[in-house]
Amino acid sequence: MDCMNSSKKIRLIFPLFFLLVLTVFPVNAWAFQGHGAREGLYVHQLAHVFYAASMGYLFWGIRKSSFKSRGWLFLQAFCFFIILWNVVAFTGHSLASYVDSSFYLSENGYLSTRLPGPFTNVKLLVYFTKLDHLFSIPALLCLYLGMKGLYRSSLEEEEV
Amino acid sequence: MTSLPMLPTIIVDMVGSVIIIVLSFLSLLYAYRLICRQPGNFLWGFLFYFCITLVCFSVSRAVGHLLKQILMISGNEVIWHGLAPYSGGFNTLLMISLAAVSVYYNKGLEAFRAMQKKALSLRHANEQLEVSAGKLQRLNANLEEIVERRTKKLSASEKKFRNFFVNSKDMVYFCDSVDSLTTMNNAGYKMLGYSMEDDPRLKLSDIFHNEGDVEKYFKTLIANGFVEDLEVEFVRADGTVIYVLLSATAVYDEEHNFIGCEGIAKDLTRVRTMMEQLASSEKMASVGQMAAGVAHEINTPLGVILGYAQLMMDDFTPESEEGESLIVIERQAKACRKIVADLLKFSRQSESARENILINEVMEDVLAVTEHSLNMDHIYAQRNLEKDLPSIVGDAEKLRQVFINFVNNAHHAMEKQGGGKLYLSCHYDKENEQIVATVRDTGHGIPEEVKAKIFDPFFTTKPVGKGTGLGLSVSYGIIKDHGGVIEVESPVKGEEGEVQGTAFHVKLPVLSKEAAPVIER
Repeated sequence: MDCMNSSKKIRLIFPLFFLLVLTVFPVNAWAFQGHGAREGLYVHQLAHVFYAASMGYLFWGIRKSSFKSRGWLFLQAFCFFIILWNVVAFTGHSLASYVDSSFYLSENGYLSTRLPGPFTNVKLLVYFTKLDHLFSIPALLCLYLGMKGLYRSSLEEEEV
Repeated sequence: MTSLPMLPTIIVDMVGSVIIIVLSFLSLLYAYRLICRQPGNFLWGFLFYFCITLVCFSVSRAVGHLLKQILMISGNEVIWHGLAPYSGGFNTLLMISLAAVSVYYNKGLEAFRAMQKKALSLRHANEQLEVSAGKLQRLNANLEEIVERRTKKLSASEKKFRNFFVNSKDMVYFCDSVDSLTTMNNAGYKMLGYSMEDDPRLKLSDIFHNEGDVEKYFKTLIANGFVEDLEVEFVRADGTVIYVLLSATAVYDEEHNFIGCEGIAKDLTRVRTMMEQLASSEKMASVGQMAAGVAHEINTPLGVILGYAQLMMDDFTPESEEGESLIVIERQAKACRKIVADLLKFSRQSESARENILINEVMEDVLAVTEHSLNMDHIYAQRNLEKDLPSIVGDAEKLRQVFINFVNNAHHAMEKQGGGKLYLSCHYDKENEQIVATVRDTGHGIPEEVKAKIFDPFFTTKPVGKGTGLGLSVSYGIIKDHGGVIEVESPVKGEEGEVQGTAFHVKLPVLSKEAAPVIER
């Protein structure tokens, strides 16, 4: 009986030990593959594309649904601005490879950071993409107005 | 400008991040309110989950941006570089989630609409089911009452049409496709002289007098579906012919096969007789006018002939040849004058008196003159004169002449058969306010073919020299002048059926007491 119990214990401990080794020394595990920093950027960029495409699909879906109320129009505007925002953000991320420590000039701290001349297209585009909130805020504003409009329409419909 | 400050981008980034967080939460608030109001609505559900994901994304991104700016401003750039991959990773994850949620919109909406449609049709079906159930319940509850009400209506309707069928004074009949009369009302049997109790099996071809009429009737019925105002003659049970106006409609079964007909027949025999009498009256009137004209023209030369003949008679003895010729001329001229006078009487051109007359006295006067002569030929008169008859206005002398004419005709009709009975009756027809005086004999009667001509001037059945044929036409003129009518009946219809003989009914109007005329002569 004792032999039987010790055999069971060994069988239970071994996998746990193996798991511990793999967790502590992951680089040596053959099953894992290493990922570079650029892979994360690509995934993020693809997420922007996916997000923009889904907004296009939603825009088309709302148009197809023939919803004509103010709320739905604002939601379409939201989709439109988000697509623009995605384009701007995607462009901004794509230009990241051109930006290094010499790209900006910072003498008296972060707030005094400047973009030195001469102003190439890349520099101007990078500066512009830093202002991506100029697209995301109207988008969110449209979403807010759209939701509010739909809520009011719902109230009016009930009154009727 | 040699450089651009990055401060505006930092400010926009920080302020924008805060605004985005606020706006995303406000959107979520309205999405929440919507889903609370209508939890079953797919669209609100979709927007609610979309807003939740968007809030997560907005918070993740905005907080990341704010953290970055704060850390950069505070000089902790290294810390930010450590946190940046996590922030970016979260943002990536939430962007994908947002995209994934958005993708469900179209298909979800389609499914929701399909469900809504199904639910709507189910609701309609339910409503209809409820209405039907309600109706059924009401019907069940009132079934007995409804059946009773319908039965009453049906019974009333059936009674109405049965009454029409039974009480109609015209023949109403139903006939099958092989011309057998399946049903006929009592008026129809009566019109044809049958008894309904005997239930005679009649066919249309049995009662149509002319064979061609049956063929014409069915041909028209099948061609047009109806027969309208067809004038035909029916044969009664006793063989007499009646004149009817027939209208009928074809009856079809569900497959539009001709299965019989239903029709109405109106007896117009009486109307036809009246029409014939009217035509006869018009003829008599025109003949009277002509006779009057001729009489006037003849009267003058006849007077001259008679005058000269009488003057010449003074010059010759009656025994001489000339005298005898003049006597013949005088006699024939007088005979002609009598004929002319009669013609004038017929055409009512002669003068007549107007006085109150009791018809019974006139009848008695006539019998007083003629009874002896009648008895000689074994003809015996029977009086049936109603007492207290109202008086009529007219010329007693002319009325006597009329009744003497009738009595003479009766005498003539009965003397050949060696005797008979003469019935004279008078009664008052209160309804029509007229006196009806009847002279009836038991002679041979008047043949049907001459009945219509007996009042024509110069029409006679007597041998030449025995009568002028003016008696009845003069009588006709006199009675017409008195505002009355003469009706002839031969054979005579009595209580015991038809009796041989002839009856002349003279109907004279009685004037009301207020309008009683003054005697003038």
